[in-house]
Amino acid sequence: MQVDVFQALADPTRRRIVEALRGGEQQVGDVVAKAGIHQSGVSRHLRILHESGFVTVRPDGQRRFYALRPAPFRELDRWLSSYRELWEARLDRFGAALDDKRNQRQTKSRKKES
Amino acid sequence: MNEQHSGKVVIERRYRASITDVWDLWTTKDGFESWWGPQGFRAEVSEIDARVGGALHYEMIADTPEMIAAMKQMGRPASHPARARFTELRPRERLVITSVVDFIPDVAAYESRIAVDLTPDGEHVRMVVTLDAMHSEEMTRMQEQGFTSQLTKLDARFASAAAGR
Repeated sequence: MQVDVFQALADPTRRRIVEALRGGEQQVGDVVAKAGIHQSGVSRHLRILHESGFVTVRPDGQRRFYALRPAPFRELDRWLSSYRELWEARLDRFGAALDDKRNQRQTKSRKKES
Repeated sequence: MNEQHSGKVVIERRYRASITDVWDLWTTKDGFESWWGPQGFRAEVSEIDARVGGALHYEMIADTPEMIAAMKQMGRPASHPARARFTELRPRERLVITSVVDFIPDVAAYESRIAVDLTPDGEHVRMVVTLDAMHSEEMTRMQEQGFTSQLTKLDARFASAAAGR
């Protein structure tokens, strides 16, 4: 995944904007109302989201409509599943470490008995 | 879409172990180093102070030839420091490890949490790990280093080796 794709969503304000756009195409004013952020901030964040490929812009006369693009979200899905895999592997090792502890203890107590 | 929505990943495991052993793997130097990794890395703990506000400082060190080569190829050092804190702690019940992610350009510093909940269940322990996946320090760094695909590849190789055993 491109670094800038990831960075785009690392910012909590931009995540709020993405949430606000989930309902479909919207103008800046609607995003401002839904995300509860000042208009100047929204414009800047929309520009970043647009540049990183999360959002498309459709001009219609004076108005501009913003919508989400699915492709980077699919990338995020892939990324989340690789993160999950990392932790599944980690927790497998956690289980193996617990088994080691138990085995060591059993060996010790067996030695004591003999 | 659920995970993506919240940016959280929840993993539940059930281990045949005592709750003290499980707790120690999270809160002692030897314990933590014995499993943290991740794949291709080992952790070396310099400070682990399992109290609320206590530090968890460790170094993640590439320790397989493949990983060392991969880091070198990317012009990255073979180890990097990780700094976190225990921000919640109820012995043998719950702990939260929080790191501050403050190294991404143009993004305000934010916190990333790993929450661990333990429940005894007969001879077993149920462990639920809740991760701020979207904002985890470790993945953020790897992401930053264009590193994930490399790691996934290695994981796949280990998985197939394990399956062949």
